[in-house]
Amino acid sequence: MSTNKVQFIFENKLIELDNPDPNQTLLNFIREELKKTGTKEGCAEGGCGACTVVLGEMENKKIKYKAVNACISFTPILHGKQLIVVENLVSKNGSYHPVQEAMAKYHASQCGFCTPGFVMSIFAMYKNKNNKDEDNIKDAISGNLCRCTGYRPIIDAAKSLKKKTRYDEFDQNNSKVIKLLKKINNKNIIIKNKNKKYFAPKTINELKKIIQQNPNSNFLSGGTDLCLIVTKSRQEIKDIISLNDIKELNFIKIINNEINIGATTPLIQVEKFIQKYYPDFHNILRRYGSVQIRNVGTIGGNIATASPIGDTLPLLISLNSRILIQTKKNNKEIFLKDFFIGYRKTRLKAGEFIKSIKIPIYKNHKFKAYKISKRFDDDISSVCASFNFRIKNQRIEDAIIAFGGMSEIPKRADKCEKFLINSKFSVDIFEKAKNILKQDFRPIDDMRASKKYRLEVAENLLLKFFLETKSNKLIRIN
Amino acid sequence: MKKQDYFSEKRIHDSAYKHVSGFAEYTDDMKEPDSTIYGAIGWSKKAHAIIKKIDLKDVKSSEGVVSVVTFKDVPGRNDVGPVFDGDPIFANNKVEFYGQPIFAVAAKSTEFARKAVLKAKVYYKELKPIVTIKESLAKKKLLFKIRKIKRGNPNNALLKSKNRFKGNFTTGSQEHFYLEGQVAFVVPKEDNNMLVYSSTQHPSETQQIIAKMLNQKSNSITVLVRRIGGGFGGKETNFMTASICSLLAHKTKCPVKLRLDRDDDIIITGKRHEFFSDYEVGFSDKGEIKSVKLKLSSKCGMSPDLSLAINERALLHIDNAYFIPNLEVKNYLCKTNTSTSTAFRGFGGNQGMMAIENIIDNISRYLGKDSSEIRKINFYKKNSRNITHYGMKIEDNVINEIFNKLLKKSNYKKRYSEIKKFNLKNKYKKKGISITPVKFGISFTTIHLNQAGALVHIYTDGSVHLNHGGIEMGQGTHTKIAQLVSKSFGIPYEKVQISSTNTSKVPNTSASAASSTTDLNGAAALDAVKKIKLNLEKFIKNKYKISVKNNVVYKNEKIFIGKYIFKFNDIVQEAYLNRISLSSNGFYSTPKINFNKKKFYGRPFLYFCYGAAVTEVTIDTLTGENIIDTVDILHDAGNAINPALELGQIEGGFVQGQGWLTMEEVNWKSNGQITTFSPSTYKIPAVSDIPRKFRVEIYKEGKNKEEVINKAKTTGEPPLMLAMSVFFAIKDAIASTSNYKKIPELNAPATPEKILLSISRLKNN
Repeated sequence: MSTNKVQFIFENKLIELDNPDPNQTLLNFIREELKKTGTKEGCAEGGCGACTVVLGEMENKKIKYKAVNACISFTPILHGKQLIVVENLVSKNGSYHPVQEAMAKYHASQCGFCTPGFVMSIFAMYKNKNNKDEDNIKDAISGNLCRCTGYRPIIDAAKSLKKKTRYDEFDQNNSKVIKLLKKINNKNIIIKNKNKKYFAPKTINELKKIIQQNPNSNFLSGGTDLCLIVTKSRQEIKDIISLNDIKELNFIKIINNEINIGATTPLIQVEKFIQKYYPDFHNILRRYGSVQIRNVGTIGGNIATASPIGDTLPLLISLNSRILIQTKKNNKEIFLKDFFIGYRKTRLKAGEFIKSIKIPIYKNHKFKAYKISKRFDDDISSVCASFNFRIKNQRIEDAIIAFGGMSEIPKRADKCEKFLINSKFSVDIFEKAKNILKQDFRPIDDMRASKKYRLEVAENLLLKFFLETKSNKLIRIN
Repeated sequence: MKKQDYFSEKRIHDSAYKHVSGFAEYTDDMKEPDSTIYGAIGWSKKAHAIIKKIDLKDVKSSEGVVSVVTFKDVPGRNDVGPVFDGDPIFANNKVEFYGQPIFAVAAKSTEFARKAVLKAKVYYKELKPIVTIKESLAKKKLLFKIRKIKRGNPNNALLKSKNRFKGNFTTGSQEHFYLEGQVAFVVPKEDNNMLVYSSTQHPSETQQIIAKMLNQKSNSITVLVRRIGGGFGGKETNFMTASICSLLAHKTKCPVKLRLDRDDDIIITGKRHEFFSDYEVGFSDKGEIKSVKLKLSSKCGMSPDLSLAINERALLHIDNAYFIPNLEVKNYLCKTNTSTSTAFRGFGGNQGMMAIENIIDNISRYLGKDSSEIRKINFYKKNSRNITHYGMKIEDNVINEIFNKLLKKSNYKKRYSEIKKFNLKNKYKKKGISITPVKFGISFTTIHLNQAGALVHIYTDGSVHLNHGGIEMGQGTHTKIAQLVSKSFGIPYEKVQISSTNTSKVPNTSASAASSTTDLNGAAALDAVKKIKLNLEKFIKNKYKISVKNNVVYKNEKIFIGKYIFKFNDIVQEAYLNRISLSSNGFYSTPKINFNKKKFYGRPFLYFCYGAAVTEVTIDTLTGENIIDTVDILHDAGNAINPALELGQIEGGFVQGQGWLTMEEVNWKSNGQITTFSPSTYKIPAVSDIPRKFRVEIYKEGKNKEEVINKAKTTGEPPLMLAMSVFFAIKDAIASTSNYKKIPELNAPATPEKILLSISRLKNN
């Protein structure tokens, strides 16, 4: 049972696309085919937020609104969703949405080019009743760049919405849209457009079949990396298998004192869930990227792309996480630390995919993680460090230290760990341990940081971990 | 002013509701005719090379390609340099920077065009590129002769000074990162005419450069701009996009759109000048500057572009707000194999000011005194010490007042002593504070550019059409000028229709730049209004036999003359029926200014803008991370036309300056390849970077002494330099790690890496 139709709701109508081009970005679709030019292209890589649109999706019988970057989404991902662009916020009688009113009245636009993106990010926050405090507001717009205003009036506009009633035209049309969303078929999607194919299976079994028949396909799991092949390298992606519709891969649950996370679980959900267990993991995920990126980017995607600077990886490694891989015939489980074999290379063979990740819950360990980057929001780490220690009677019984940004793969500091284990938990030991890090890592120079800085910061973070643990206080400025 | 009036002046931007609803039309949003085709630029992958061969066979046969152009297709001038030649539209046999355009493609879609340009095979013979200022100085690759300015006897005064030291200092480059990239849309018309829509700050020069390229007269090219999505100087002389787009339209006879991808935009187009200074300063025990000698070098990139004017503004602002009795500056304009350095908010002024502020900061640390005291001692005064190094008498000095008021208001002294206590208690978190002044000269330093034109019509229904030479790039110039025009006519703001800047309505305009757009164009618009009003008044007085001496007042859509009251609309109707002109152009040229560039002497500025900022920061001494805790600003906007929009300029300018001085880093490899060309590698401030507490106040006593519209002062560029306080607050926090005993070495931008390096150096020295 499959379909070649992508169905979605736009302006309260069910729209159907026959075999749409799977390489077309959602942004180009909106601007060129829907002829809505309010949504802007600022960078075509998900880094500025000017293209932000909102997708409505059914979640627990309600519509949940998600801000996404249209420039790094492909059109077929619309299937089963409601698409909302900035023009749609103006109601039929011509009155502006409260978000738009606030943005205008608080002088929150100057040149206006970034404004539609801000409006949509704030709209999503407003609809999800997330604008609780200034931190929430800042998080909601951390992926939207404005070069004119200096942000203050935008924050004020968003703050003013707290006092507003929340009933709007989207509430009015809520039941109608839900009805339409329910009409959308729930079949596997198979699109054939010229030489390109796109699959969005619903189950793991379907997925396996598709992989068998199309072994050279690219997996799409969020797509924040994959889309860049089209928008930046200007290449075609012939076959895409989207994992986003497979419910079996999207879950978080605790089994045997381990957090089990399905591979296609969006990072934003991981971030919320993990806060209770590992607050620093939550903090780093908050800075992993913008809300738009975390809404679609998945934990499995972050692992499989194997970037040396993927922020979840050192954390997962230091927590001794394991991944469950679906091989051609069986499942196999390996430690994440053994998964990466070279720059963007993993042990994943053609046709295999990650099913889930298991993160042990350490009750009596000290776990801390740090991300150092030029900019607080939405930046790539110069260094990302993660420490997981068991300390008893001032002795280090176990130490797992992992770094990102320090070598071509996210990696553990083996020699340093070895030195620390069974040593005294003291400043002298950590001062000595700092010197050993040099033997573990040979970082590189690039536009983000020099190797000298990377090494020095890595050493200092080791000390910081000691100081914070010892004093039981955070020594941080953010 | 009545309260109500004040609030009506805080009017929102004329396009605010269009911005928030997506209906504000930018160049890329316009409806295109069916025959429209789309462009892309093929550019050099080498920073310095002879082109041996260009093979475009695969480009031409690429899917959807309609036409390919190279330098051979340019009928006229193959250069877009605004003042001097040096910016070829397409490289001929030599490339001088990574990103230099070599050819362009028009295709059936932007995607086709962008794919096609990647298929070119260009064979190069590589030459050694010059990438840094140091390399350029060593190889003597200067674009112009060394320029030397001098006041008094700097050598002698240095020798006589009680205290002296030497040092050097760098401020980095900066990418404009306007959110709307470079874009043009060109529609060919009959008689080889071209209708050009372009995202530019300078429509008149776009027109002239396209005309010269096509070997046509300027009157055959019309340039239209409704609004642009940010400029900041980056769209002042970038004529490459509109020129290439016009050439493609000329060749294919089709409408062509050329929109640069963000990466291409950053790689191809110009950026802010990096500046390097070697200095020596002599000063008294009190900290009074006696003499400064500077070698001021700037990285100009591969072409002259506006570098001469930008360096001149640096020289004109090397004093910031300080009286320097003896001064020598040698100015080196370094050629490098990088994209041309160009205009960017501040236009060299900010780089000059940072050089002297760094010197002042170091004097304070050398003497172990609070830098706010040293700054005060050296300020220009009202009646003495009030002549600049270029011979201009400062007649509107309010820096002493603003500075003292802000010191008090911000509680600077008390906070500083608290900070010192905090720093004694904390080893890994350190706080720093700084107050810095701004004095910024207003007028184009090229005198003839200080002119503007406008065109105003009243239609028979009483509605007004307003046109002028200024570009709306977010600053709200259209809003402010419409406010002035409606006020002058005594009619509601809504009755004034703002329109696209259009070279066929107002000719020979200057760029919307140098902070002077509203000053110049607003005055021109009011001149047009005045002329129409004179027509109306002459007609009324004649017809109703009213004495010409009677004052005329326009208010509430009425005209009051003596005891007579007329409805504005009635008079307009009547005037029309009596064959009275209801339309006029207007013109303005800035008075008083003169400047002898050769002698570096005269009055280049009509007036100065003043302001000051106090910034408090916290740094992490283990990582170099930093946050801005508090910013207090007091800024002189004169009698602001629209205080809300001025506030937006002040805050936005500050954050842009903060980016320049703390996180924005343009990075070139030694082979000349730029490595920071997208938002993932080039970071501009995001929402979490702004000051935690951000208190901005407009100086209430402000009033422009000169005859400037509304007695206002511009807020375009000056607020950018308020961010200097961020840099020096960071430096102060670093200095605290040596208990303020040593002078930190710190260059801009103060990234976490540079901060940590500076701390390590203090430790190891």
